[in-house]
Amino acid sequence: MMLYAGLASVVFGAMAKDTTRERVLYGVKVFAEFMVIGLILSWVLYFIP
Amino acid sequence: MVKTERMQADDADPTPSSAWLIGLAAWFVPGIGHVLVAKWGRALLMGGSVWLCFFSGRAMGGHLFDLSTEQGRFSLLQIPPVIGDVGSGLLYIVSWLLGWGFADDPQQAARVTYEAGTYFLIVAGLLNYLTMLDAFDIAVGRKP
Repeated sequence: MMLYAGLASVVFGAMAKDTTRERVLYGVKVFAEFMVIGLILSWVLYFIP
Repeated sequence: MVKTERMQADDADPTPSSAWLIGLAAWFVPGIGHVLVAKWGRALLMGGSVWLCFFSGRAMGGHLFDLSTEQGRFSLLQIPPVIGDVGSGLLYIVSWLLGWGFADDPQQAARVTYEAGTYFLIVAGLLNYLTMLDAFDIAVGRKP
């Protein structure tokens, strides 16, 4: 999941925004969102039989 | 430039044919579109991500889809993953020609990483579509 989130956030970050700083921040934000949402969904699905 | 002015400017300047060729090249070889517009960093990051995603998927034993009709009318369900897989361009075509990853092998399907690998292969193609559009936008002049 981390590898997937990393690869996707690199592409999303590289093609978004205007400055390098904004791109890096956006990539980090997308990575964090992937991880947090992935972990929440994992726990939700864990309790569903 | 406001949106209406940009639309008028787009109408006045037709898309150059080189931009279409760069878009096509970007689909065919992930990352090459950005090389052609001299965006080396983006070529490395975006193209590299697509290549790494594809080979990670293959290493996990992921399955590539084609439009085979062995499953009758359920073959239609294969169209969305095929659209994703085809996005990898040359990587998909070479795999198809060599028959890598297309077989319905029970041993391969039994691997723990099989499902994840299959999604990595689809995501590689989808990321390459984004990479292709980015290279096209740069070639047209919509992006710096």
